[in-house]
Order: sequence, then C-alpha cells, then structure tokens
Amino acid sequence: MTLTFTLNGQPCATEAPDHWTVLDLLRDGLGLMGTKYGCGEGVCGTCTVLADDRPIRACLVLAAHVRDRALVTVEGLEADGQLDPIQTAFAERGAAQCGFCTPGMMLAAKALLLESPTPTAHEVREALSGNLCRCTGYAKVIEAVLAVASSPR
Amino acid sequence: MSVRLHPFRLLEPESLTDAVDALGQLDGEARLVAGGTALVAMIRLGLLKPDRLVSLHRVPALGQIGVEGRSLELGAMATHADIERSRVVRDGWPLLAEAARRVATPAIRTSGTIGGNLAYAEAASDPAPALLCLDAEVRVVGRGGERVIPIASFFRGFYEAALEPGEIVTALRVPPPPAGARSGYVKFTSRSAEDKPLVGVAALIALDSSGRCADIRLGLGGAAPTPIRADGAERTLRGETLTDAAAHAAADAAAREADPLSDLMGSASYRREMIRVWVRRLLVALRDGTR
Repeated sequence: MTLTFTLNGQPCATEAPDHWTVLDLLRDGLGLMGTKYGCGEGVCGTCTVLADDRPIRACLVLAAHVRDRALVTVEGLEADGQLDPIQTAFAERGAAQCGFCTPGMMLAAKALLLESPTPTAHEVREALSGNLCRCTGYAKVIEAVLAVASSPR
Repeated sequence: MSVRLHPFRLLEPESLTDAVDALGQLDGEARLVAGGTALVAMIRLGLLKPDRLVSLHRVPALGQIGVEGRSLELGAMATHADIERSRVVRDGWPLLAEAARRVATPAIRTSGTIGGNLAYAEAASDPAPALLCLDAEVRVVGRGGERVIPIASFFRGFYEAALEPGEIVTALRVPPPPAGARSGYVKFTSRSAEDKPLVGVAALIALDSSGRCADIRLGLGGAAPTPIRADGAERTLRGETLTDAAAHAAADAAAREADPLSDLMGSASYRREMIRVWVRRLLVALRDGTR
C-alpha cells in the first residue's frame, strides 16, 4: 500500500506491506533507527513516537493507521541544529544510562509538555508511567523533565 | 531482535456496510482491528494468525462523542484518551472518565478504543465495570442488521462477547446517572500502577434524604471470567443506611459472589480478599465524600 504522512515536519510518501506497524515503517522502510524495538507488545514504551502530538506505541499501531497524520520521532526533536530542551536536559542531568529507553522517554515527555507546559512531578510520573528503564531508574529522568518545564523560554 | 507480525492483508472499508461485507468474506480468517492495542500484540505473540484484518479507521464518524436526549452517545472508535479528555463525559459521566483515565498508559490510551475494549471482553477491563454501573447499551451491526445489547448481557464468557460472527460494535448509549449520585472507580494492581487491574471496583450510589441507599450499583473487573455486576452485594444495601457494618456486609457479599481466576497477577483467593477490601473502602469513601 502507498502511505502519505508527515514525518518530522516533512511530507513523506512511501510503500509499505499491509502487515507493517509504524515501527517497521520507521526502521525498515525509512531507515530511522532512533525508535527502538523493545517488547513488541506495547508494554516497555521504548518505541514511543508522536502522532499529531500524542504518544503512540509504534510497535502496536499499524502503519496504515498513521496515514495523513504528523509523526515525530527522536530524530525530529532537534530543529535547525539545535537540540530540543528535553534532549539538553536529559544530557545535562545524566538522565540516561544505556540509552535504549531514552528515545521513548523523551517523546513521552515531549507529548506531556506539549499538552501541559508546567506539569507537576506527579503528572510527569504519570506521563512516563508507560516507559520502562531497566538500568538507572527514573529520578533523573523526572528531574530533567521538570527542569525543562520550569526553565524560561 | 524484533519479531515480525505474521503477514495479513489489510482491508480499509469506508462504510459500515462494506466493513460487514469484508468480515463476511469466506477466504480464511478475518479479524476486525480498531486501535490494535490488543489484537496486534496477540498477532505478535503468535496467538492469532488472521489472513485479513478489517480496519475501522476509514469508516466516518465512528469516534464521535455527544449527547442525544439526555444519554451519552459514544462512538466505538472513541479512544480512552478521547473519553478521559471529553468535557461532556467528565461533566456528565465522571465515573466513565475516571475509568478511562486508568486504562494502561498514556500511549496505549491514545490508540485503544472503547469498542475494542468491550469486544475483547477481558475480565480485567477498566471501563467495563463503570459501564456496567451506568447501565450502558451496546449498539452492534452485522449481516442481520442492527441490534442493541444491554451491557449486563454483553459479556458471555472468558474473552467472549455476545457478538455473532461478523458483528461490529458501533456505539454505546449511556443513560445519565441518577441526580446527585456519587461514583468512583478504584483499580488495585498487584505489580505496578499501569498494570491491568488485579481487581477493579466501580460503584455508584444515590442516597435519599435520610441517608439510605436509594440506588446502589457495583461493577467488578478481575472478579470473574468476565466483568460483572455484584448483584448480591447491591441487594444487601438497597434501601439500607450505609453504615460501616453495612459496607462490610456488602463487601462480604461481593467477595462471595465473585468467581475469580488465578493468574500471574494473583491467586483467586487473593483476588477474593482484595474484592472484599476495595468494595468496602470505596463504599465508605463515597459515603464520606473522601475521594
């Protein structure tokens, strides 16, 4: 099938087999390897990307279901050579260890901040509740998201 | 290493009539897909190997949320995120909004749909106990035409809904809760907060001027092979004053009429105890206005 959608701000038209998920489309169809395959069942959250500014599980959503929608992956967080404030905050605060969960964490955080620019710590925890980290924990991740929320823009 | 989905052909009908026809074709197994949060995971795990998926995404207006007369009209393709954010639902059917907010995690709620949740007929559904309390009606369409199924008879067995082959859930009609009713949903998880409920308890109570239960409804998830109404517990309270002792007795009745299963989240006997605990706590909290 032919799919047209917006990918990281650019129009995109591509072919995909019927049974592909968004994750297959991104990694195997378009060569964007930032979005990770973790559990494949929607539990771990590392494949989280944005569709129309809301978080989705790329491993569960069929590629056909993002037709004509606007996708943002971790590759699209940076704009004009400038890192997104979320990326900067994660780096400055050491909010990653192996980094495998990081793309999903950052996009889940991005979705939260787009909807609610000044969240409470509880809201950050809820927003990241579907993103599992198996090495370092969550304290620095939450600190990083709160730091972005409280920084002047 | 990534595990691919078993290949299938995807059909994307643009009307319900075409969707019914697509499901009814006789070339191999067909499955309906809405959000895919349950179905795609099952295909990934190799539990299902359908030849065709019939998507509802291109059928117009299936995700609408509105009010007709005094009842909520909820399109089957409305996502849990749509429902939790809907001003109409939050104002008029807060129990449903609360349950929708407790489904899985944010990125699942943006895809998972209310129609898919009900058709999946999982015992540990979050919205089902709330919809049971609200006496919702499920609208379905199939080759035999349209029909309406009261939610109390919608869940037929373990992962089995009262849908004929090829029938599609199109909408829910949810009557307004009684004026002045108090309601709440508690989700008890035994592992992590975003897990499926070990038990879920939805309650709706309306007290008369002397503090007696004029209306009492209890819905349970994870308490039986399907979501259920706790009819026996409701009977112990109807017309009675909601004292601590009455709440205890109702909780005991709910635990007795439950028929829970054992799984990785907890044993049947643990579930029965947690039903007893959470029914009592929720009733008392609603009475006292502490939630």
